[in-house]
Amino acid sequence: MSSTLAGWLQVGLLVAALAACYVPLGNYIAKIFTTNQHWRVERAIFKATGINPDVDQGWGQYLRSMLAFSAVSVLLLYGMQRLQGYLLSFVGPHMAAVPANTAFNTAVSFTTNTNWQNYSGESTMTYIVQMSGLAVQNFMSAAVGLVVAMAMIRGFVRSRTGTLGNFWSDVTHAVVRLLLPLSVIGAIVLMAGGAIDNFASYHTITTLSGAHQTIVGGPVASQEVIKEMGNNGGGFFNANSAHPFENPNPFTDIFEIFLLLLIPFATPRAFGRMVKDNKQGYAIVAIMAIIWVVAVAGLSFFEAHTATGGAATIAAGHAAEGTEVRFGTPACSVFAASTTLTSTGAVNCFHDSLTPFGGGIALFDMALGEIAPGGIGAGMYGILILAIVTVFVAGLMVGRTPEYIGKKIRPTEMKYAALYFLTIPVITLTAAGLSIATKVGQSAIFNPGPHGLTEVMYAFVSEANNNGSAFAGLGTAATWYQTLGGVVMLLGRFAPEIFALGLAGSLARQSPVPASAGTLDTRTPLFVGMVVGVILILVGLTYFPALALGPFAEGLH
Amino acid sequence: MAVTTTPQTGPEAGKPAGTEQRRIGSGLLDPKILWNSLPAAFKKLDPRVQLRNPVMFVVEVGAAITTYTAIFDDKQPAFNWTIVVFLWLTVVFANLAEAVAEGRGKAQAETLRRTKRETVARRLIDWRPGQTGTREEEVPGTQLQLGDHVVVEAGEIIPGDGDVVEGVASVDESAITGESAPVIRESGGDRSAVTGGTKVLSDRIVVHITSKPGETFIDRMIALVEGAQRQKTPNEIALNILLASLTIIFMLAVITLQPMAFYSGAPQSLVILVALLVALIPTTIGALLSAIGIAGMDRLVQRNVLAMSGRAVEAAGDVNTLLLGQDRHDHDRQPPGNRVPAGGRRVRRGTCQRRAAVVHGRLHPGGPLHRRAGQGEVRSAGAPGGRVARGRVR
Repeated sequence: MSSTLAGWLQVGLLVAALAACYVPLGNYIAKIFTTNQHWRVERAIFKATGINPDVDQGWGQYLRSMLAFSAVSVLLLYGMQRLQGYLLSFVGPHMAAVPANTAFNTAVSFTTNTNWQNYSGESTMTYIVQMSGLAVQNFMSAAVGLVVAMAMIRGFVRSRTGTLGNFWSDVTHAVVRLLLPLSVIGAIVLMAGGAIDNFASYHTITTLSGAHQTIVGGPVASQEVIKEMGNNGGGFFNANSAHPFENPNPFTDIFEIFLLLLIPFATPRAFGRMVKDNKQGYAIVAIMAIIWVVAVAGLSFFEAHTATGGAATIAAGHAAEGTEVRFGTPACSVFAASTTLTSTGAVNCFHDSLTPFGGGIALFDMALGEIAPGGIGAGMYGILILAIVTVFVAGLMVGRTPEYIGKKIRPTEMKYAALYFLTIPVITLTAAGLSIATKVGQSAIFNPGPHGLTEVMYAFVSEANNNGSAFAGLGTAATWYQTLGGVVMLLGRFAPEIFALGLAGSLARQSPVPASAGTLDTRTPLFVGMVVGVILILVGLTYFPALALGPFAEGLH
Repeated sequence: MAVTTTPQTGPEAGKPAGTEQRRIGSGLLDPKILWNSLPAAFKKLDPRVQLRNPVMFVVEVGAAITTYTAIFDDKQPAFNWTIVVFLWLTVVFANLAEAVAEGRGKAQAETLRRTKRETVARRLIDWRPGQTGTREEEVPGTQLQLGDHVVVEAGEIIPGDGDVVEGVASVDESAITGESAPVIRESGGDRSAVTGGTKVLSDRIVVHITSKPGETFIDRMIALVEGAQRQKTPNEIALNILLASLTIIFMLAVITLQPMAFYSGAPQSLVILVALLVALIPTTIGALLSAIGIAGMDRLVQRNVLAMSGRAVEAAGDVNTLLLGQDRHDHDRQPPGNRVPAGGRRVRRGTCQRRAAVVHGRLHPGGPLHRRAGQGEVRSAGAPGGRVARGRVR
């Protein structure tokens, strides 16, 4: 069987598995966020924390709860890393305190669901910090993203009320009913596939050639599963999903791709179910699927064809450099496209070694704003806002106020939507422009020419969109990139969430508009095509100059 | 804020209604209007005016920068000056579209005023009820006073608002109400009120003028047209927000292009950057926004409906609760099938004396009439004597 065929079979298997999960998982998510019942364990949590889970919060209150929760998470994570040498070293190898800059960058990175890492997990973090700090944030940041999406959907469902639900209740439900049970199952599957999960310290062994090699243990599988499923991407090891202990074989590889696509692709169903029109969910999932399939096909094409690669590529017959030979080029291409489209950022191959156009697609995927299918929750609210923009552009000046899912798109809504899609490009371009223009930014670029430019763009696009995958080849451990990167990640996560919640609050206050002859039907292929077009044009024009000077210049050289 | 029907104006105004579907153009592409609007278009080059439209403001600033560069930079003069000319033309044409929009309101008011001036009233001197052979004099419609009596015969236009005090006539009120069937107006009772600008089709009536000069129905319409400023519609405001944010993004994309281009060893000239920016930002929509607004109003004018602003057009488009008013006399004339449904309710008893039915996306017979406080308001100026029925729009 040729490797191309194997790649397409993988994609086919993924599509089948995701399609099978779409309805049951989507319905389950909708049920979690519409029920008023609390499980016993949830009631115990509410009692212990003194939370009243049945108070409906307005969007401001919901937002403040979310920001407060995240702020505490950042501080806690920062503290744990700084104090790990004293407090948290009793299992596994002993580690010194993480340097302040790295600790800040990492704390922000894990709380914002970015999981940008400029440290090697196995030689920087103790097992306790990995388990009770980083992995916990993997759950929490995923839950936060998901509940913001649910609050946004409630904005469409609810009428003449300012309330969007209860943040604390939502987060608890998300973790207890969705993320934890799925993670337990997933971790067992991964361990069955060969991923490790133990508290063993370093083993130093002598290889056949007589050299010494250090083998690291650790609670890997339990962190690996939420890393993929929560679209976090922060690996236990520096090599991430290319490490045999995280991702031992082709089966675990495709299982991990499945995990990272699972919830984002099922959320549109929950949306359709909550707004009581499943076809709306199908339209959204179709938009996501089209972009995903095209990106996978494009990336696979450029990785499999040597013409646009470098000299080494032509000699090898395919773009072998930096790929993981255990999986092969096609599996790496599918993984690379999926991880950059979902804000996961886990990698099973070296993105810096992708062909210029292949790497360009990975960069473009992230620049789309993580909406196809996007990060857990973040993809949903992102695509809903783009759908609103599309409805507005399509219904431009027809002489009535356009509407989406029975809610009018008035200047207030448009203001929030515009601020939402304005934020990320502004942050990205400003940070990248500053880094390229200044000495301190340039000095960390190891590769000259267009490739170096792509590396800088990739770093900030990845951080601003909370993806977290790295192009490498850039000295991101420099203070400039650590600090600026931290700020970019914070803004890239929370500014859009503020606008999304504000939009949701504004929608929830409206009364529903009955659909009429003047209403654009948002369940049709026409609308799907229009949204895809709006997304591509918006992103294409924004990043075209940078893409032209980076990947295009390199690929066409 | 109002949508009202205009009286028919011009030479065809005297023809019986219903014989000819006449459409009035707004004269958007009338060379005369374009020419007259040209000075206003240049006046609008003032940056303080341009600031209201961020997209065109950016283009104007870009045009100024390229002009400066073209003057002081000797490299590639042909290219630079071409760009300069194109940029300035873009700004001026955008202004022209808006100037035409503003000039239109004035032109309409002028047409209305001319109608009024040209109407000749046959005033009766010292008229007493039942008296015949009273002396009459011809005065312009504008000079009629409260309490005057005028005589109107078949084929003549009623010169002012008032009550019929003698005779019976069929009156074509289509200019005001849009209703093509003539109505009967007679002295005494409820059917005595007539409106200036409507036309007597048969017989002869004497009308007692009940409005002061300058306060007739047509006068109020003229005031509305003249006072109507080009208000931005809610959609236009939302669109402006979208365009402004796109402009910001693309400005950043171009600004950050330069350091990247430097890094890549290919710095670009200022003129090229400005040209790229203008190509990226939504210049076309930004420039034509006001023209799009006019197109909407133009459509209504073609159907003999006068929209004071694009805002009114949109308010009308957003109607999903409609109060269908029916004049009681007309109601009595209706065939039974057209009668207001049983759920209809009386609105504002004593003011309009109308029956109304509520039509809704899902029919709410007998539901509360004023369901929600609205954002906009639609008026139909159909009531005799200039009484106005209001419908609330959600």
